[in-house]
Amino acid sequence: MTLRRLVAFSLLLVPLLSRADAPGVYAITGGTVHTVSGAPIANGTVLIRDGLIEAVGSNVAVPADATIIDVAGSHVYPGLIDAQTSLGFAAPSGGGRASARPERSERPPEPTPDFLAIRNVKLTDDDADARRAIGVTTIVTAPSNGIFNGQSAIVNLGSGSIESRVIKSPAAIQIAFNTRPTWTYPDSLMGVMSYIRQTFLDAQQHVTATEIYTRSPAGFERPQENPGLEALRPVLRRDLPVVFIADSELMMRRAMTLARELNVKYVLSGARQAYAMPADLKNVPVLVSVKWPTAPTDKDDREDQPLRVIRDRQLAPTTPGVLAKNNVAFALVSGAAKSSEFLPGIRKAIENGLSAEDALRATTLAPARIFGVDRQLGTLERGKIANLVVSDKPLFEKEAKVKRVFVDGREIRLPAEEKKDSAAGAPASAIDGTWALTVRAPQGNAAIQVTLRAEDGRVTGTFSGDRGSGDIKGGSLDGTSFEFTISANAPDAEASDWVFRGTLDGDAMSGTVTTTLGNFEFSGSRSK
Amino acid sequence: MKNALFALALTIPLFAQERVTLIRNATILTVTNGTIENGSVLIRGSKIVAVGKDIAAPANARVIDATGKFVLPGIIDTHSHTAVEGSVNEISLPNTGMVRIADAIDNNDVSAYRQLAGGTTAALVLHGSANAIGGQSQILKWKWGRPASEWLVSGAPRTIKFALGENPKSANFRPPEGTPRQYPATRMGVEEVIRKSFIDARDYMAAWDEYEAKVKRKETAIPPRRDLLMDTMADILRGKIDVHAHCYRADEIIMLLNVADEQGFKVRELQHVLEGYKVGREIAKHGAGAGTFIDWWGYKAEAYDAIPYNVALMVRDKVLTSVNSDSDELARHLNHDAAKAMKYGGLTEDEALRLCTINPARQLRLDNRIGSIETGKDADLAIWNGHPLSVYSRVDTTFIEGEVYFDREQDLKRREELRKEKEERLKKEADEAKKDKDKEKEKKDA
Amino acid sequence: MRKTLALALLLASSAFAQSTILNGTGRKATVAIRNATIVPVSGPTIANGTIVFANGVITAVGTNLTAPSNATVIDGTGLFVYPGMIDSGSNVGLVEMDSVAGTVDTTELGDFNPNAQAAVAFNPHSEVVPVTRVSGVTHVLSVPEGGIISGQSALMQLAGWTPPESVVKAPAAMHIRFPRLRSTSPFATQPPDEEAEKEQKKAYTKSIDQLRDLLRDAQAYAKAAGARAKDTKVRRFDRDLVLEALVPVVEGREPVVMHANLARDIKAALEFADEFKLKVILAGAQDVARVVDEVKRRNIPVILGPILSLPQREDDPYDLLFTNAKTLHDAGIAFAIQSGDAHNARNLPYHAASCAAFGLPKDVALKSVTLYPAQIWGVADRLGSLEIGKSASLIVTDGDPLEIRTNVKRVFIAGEEMPMDSRHTLLYEKFSKRP
Repeated sequence: MTLRRLVAFSLLLVPLLSRADAPGVYAITGGTVHTVSGAPIANGTVLIRDGLIEAVGSNVAVPADATIIDVAGSHVYPGLIDAQTSLGFAAPSGGGRASARPERSERPPEPTPDFLAIRNVKLTDDDADARRAIGVTTIVTAPSNGIFNGQSAIVNLGSGSIESRVIKSPAAIQIAFNTRPTWTYPDSLMGVMSYIRQTFLDAQQHVTATEIYTRSPAGFERPQENPGLEALRPVLRRDLPVVFIADSELMMRRAMTLARELNVKYVLSGARQAYAMPADLKNVPVLVSVKWPTAPTDKDDREDQPLRVIRDRQLAPTTPGVLAKNNVAFALVSGAAKSSEFLPGIRKAIENGLSAEDALRATTLAPARIFGVDRQLGTLERGKIANLVVSDKPLFEKEAKVKRVFVDGREIRLPAEEKKDSAAGAPASAIDGTWALTVRAPQGNAAIQVTLRAEDGRVTGTFSGDRGSGDIKGGSLDGTSFEFTISANAPDAEASDWVFRGTLDGDAMSGTVTTTLGNFEFSGSRSK
Repeated sequence: MKNALFALALTIPLFAQERVTLIRNATILTVTNGTIENGSVLIRGSKIVAVGKDIAAPANARVIDATGKFVLPGIIDTHSHTAVEGSVNEISLPNTGMVRIADAIDNNDVSAYRQLAGGTTAALVLHGSANAIGGQSQILKWKWGRPASEWLVSGAPRTIKFALGENPKSANFRPPEGTPRQYPATRMGVEEVIRKSFIDARDYMAAWDEYEAKVKRKETAIPPRRDLLMDTMADILRGKIDVHAHCYRADEIIMLLNVADEQGFKVRELQHVLEGYKVGREIAKHGAGAGTFIDWWGYKAEAYDAIPYNVALMVRDKVLTSVNSDSDELARHLNHDAAKAMKYGGLTEDEALRLCTINPARQLRLDNRIGSIETGKDADLAIWNGHPLSVYSRVDTTFIEGEVYFDREQDLKRREELRKEKEERLKKEADEAKKDKDKEKEKKDA
Repeated sequence: MRKTLALALLLASSAFAQSTILNGTGRKATVAIRNATIVPVSGPTIANGTIVFANGVITAVGTNLTAPSNATVIDGTGLFVYPGMIDSGSNVGLVEMDSVAGTVDTTELGDFNPNAQAAVAFNPHSEVVPVTRVSGVTHVLSVPEGGIISGQSALMQLAGWTPPESVVKAPAAMHIRFPRLRSTSPFATQPPDEEAEKEQKKAYTKSIDQLRDLLRDAQAYAKAAGARAKDTKVRRFDRDLVLEALVPVVEGREPVVMHANLARDIKAALEFADEFKLKVILAGAQDVARVVDEVKRRNIPVILGPILSLPQREDDPYDLLFTNAKTLHDAGIAFAIQSGDAHNARNLPYHAASCAAFGLPKDVALKSVTLYPAQIWGVADRLGSLEIGKSASLIVTDGDPLEIRTNVKRVFIAGEEMPMDSRHTLLYEKFSKRP
């Protein structure tokens, strides 16, 4: 190949290579910056360079090579950390402590203590998109099936290989008190407890035997290789914590007793009944799942439930507030909740006594601290990883929308917003909206507002104004001709039906109202 | 006597915090010291401090006028599966002696409360009968409303559940398609499972002895594997764990007694033991007790020779016999079973009352604390509105360690309160749900 | 002498199920029980009374009666005479050993078995029969189980050498286990997920629709059969045994026992019965206190029991099942008590007595296992109380038979004295004699 051709060839390669090296200097300006490490900064700036935060403040000098991103009116937060997920792992079908016999073919294989989440996680784009859309940029993930769920990993939800996104692996050994199918040991809760106990005894024995054998093998039976037991070595040394999945007060107490017996460092995860035992959790890190219990849909079922269950359902969302009040170190996690339930779950906790500030802390600095990655994540401070979230309103408000997400200093495009409105997904019809109408009568005009919606020719809606309020009935729409009826309350008279018939003309409508007192003209316009 | 009792009551130091209760003017069925008409029981803190006629109420005492009523020690049930979270059977292996009921106590089981309403205050809570050796049991008191840890009876002996006959050989339940049937399938195999586990335990103990000896000699040694199951079997051999064994047929009873003799441990109590009447003297000779229900029979082949006279015949053979329930339902009227022992076999009233009180207490080695109304014992007792051996009687109030854990009047009063609370909570939820729905609707219409 | 023979037979026989105890002597002797406390149930208790019966029928009850010269006189000093007790719901005679399928005849396959009759499968020589009658329960309703229409029960006396000899009334009633909206654990603290709920609702609706269709078909069948019976020119059709069995039910001539426990199931069952104008008896009825008006309005009798059972909801009052009888009594609703058992149908009186421990008057408790069941099952002309002309089915005891400690001394069924032996007494005797 001639030299010229070679150069041309190399030039072709350059664009492919150069894409990964676009300058990573951004200044995010104009928004309210919630650092978590201090008070929020109005009209603040966050300077990002090469994946890390270079500066945060109200008077940060923006360097010449920075791309300025103006987020005036928005709120800037550290990317949220969801510290309990099984994202990227197959969900077990119907598993859990009360499971009977899930079909063998449906069950993902049970992990062992040496199962490394980071080697086996398969995060799809959808998984990551869904989380980022709610402001989560870092997750802790491990499978949820089995007793030893393996070693969890802390991973950034950015772009690039999984190896490039690892924050910490292993983060912890996760243990759940799931029973195995009947006829396989252990198939009872007490069996699971003994199984865990015996496994730790075996791990200790493995450590002892290996140490002795390594020092002087002569004359001794060779210890067998056992990666599962080997994986528990750092747990025995209290270098690696155990995350116990425990939701009820009873289960939490069992986990705590077991942890003390095994002398391990531990975290409790689930903890939705922690409201009942804050004093006992003083030095125990807790991950509270925001998948709050819900009521049955059937009325009889609700009444048949024990009061104990109803009380618990109503008290569970107070858990974060109670823990905050009692200075218990806790984080808010999704646990078994779907992405779409995470923010509503946090909002519910706020409605039940948790301050928005504590809620933010519980999804940023607190989980970072609990997992020992608070020198890298959890706040917007110089030197930390540039995971940021920009929302149009304060993040935990109902209407807030995450607008921009940065992971490792790079902006990740959010999925296009779907129009989440009409249930049938039908396009808005000509009559949809709120109308201000005037009915002209010799006795005096009446002002009535109606909010209407049409679907397949049927019109439903409500009315309010001078003649009372309520639902409209008998509504129909045919092209631009419409009809609907209200039960109007005249002063000093019984309610009587007023039938509106008219035509639409863009944002205007007009027609005739038929009442018991005669026909009158009406007209109106759409307000929104 | 009266003065002596009064004096005794005064000498016991008065702690400012301790609750003092005097139950006055009832028929006291002490069980061990006869019946006291128009008698009284004085409780201080958790203990009975005086029993007799005419006990004066100390100044700060709560006085319960129990005229016309009867006081019986709290009934003790030596076969219960109440208050266990999850399955009571670790069905997977023939010997799961390492599992512990204590790891799965559920203090939300309303069955415990219902038993208090029937005068039952304590129970031996066991693993089920799916395995020849099932698991370590737990003695609990039904301290309804208290944390689960407080339900455990401190100082109670360690106990373990064995099961013989049809259940451990899986005669009446099978593994699902694809899971092979498990050994043992015959009573022969059941015997071997039990025998082998003790023989293995002795090997285990020997291996550890050898290791300890090496360590003493300052030799390097790799310790044997610590095995929780073998630890348990070894502790049975060391006399540290009492064996309570579910059994039915006379031949398997003899089998277990022989294995026990051969392996060097004692069976503490045979349970169900529906054919115990056929081999009462052998049971007595071994020194095992028997705990059974009076009138269930015929539901399995091994229960076909069960007779309600079982208790009477074993009592005649000098077996320490008790009545127990193996049922959340029966556990709340074990007084009926005690009465049936009078009907079937002619036990006296005294003998009948012992069946559900002091006898089970002795079987559980807790007779120094419970099972009768005597000074110094735990104030575990119930006030009945009639003689407990009459089926027309019911319990008014149940005490455990001096605290009231059931009171019928309180229960009746609370029903309306609880109903209202439920109604209010459900309404609150319904209103909130409606508000949310309306908000959603507004958003859509906008 | 007879006892030794029975013992010998007991040892010799290899078959579990067959009792070796006589089911009646065949002799309906003339008997006078004198100087006992007689409790007729239908009237006041008679102290120092005498009761005389002959040919199976009570001929005299009162004080100062002279016994007929040929009467066997029984000295009743210190003793009591009561009517034999009647169990309004049991499996006696239909099962020997629950775990041995070959001996269990309670439950046919399939959901709709109206033509299954307990009377034909009743084993009068079951060991359960003597065990039950020596405790004073002389009559039982033997009831099929399972499915939606389980079959037809029969009122049986615990005497007789063949099923027909034991039948008092067959069929007694058709038994429908009304479909339940929630399956076995209705009150689990975790609500069923949406999918499961939908499935349950679908299955529930399907079951009720099937039941409805079947009854409609039975109505049509009844019409056609009735027409053909009147006029043979009406076109012949093949017989359908299932529909045929339902004809008396849809024509209101045979009562239907609706088994339902939860309030919403009871309501659904009663509304369903209204639709077909069925003659309903409600059974189980744990939630009856919540539906008293619905029951009273329709004038429906209720079979309660087993009383010694557990309430279904965690929040149900602990004494719910014990107080239901009082609730019905106070509301003036007819009721009787069932054991719901086979091997321990003998404990029927203690189910009743438990109601008395919680407010039901004792005499009403006694009625609930004697006169009331006789009335509900339409045999009050023969059974349920000690009156002249009624069957001499009575027990002699040393006390109140509802009290556990009472011993039943003698049992007469239809005037025949029954042996006081049972498998249990014989085994007791055998092992009392172990050298």
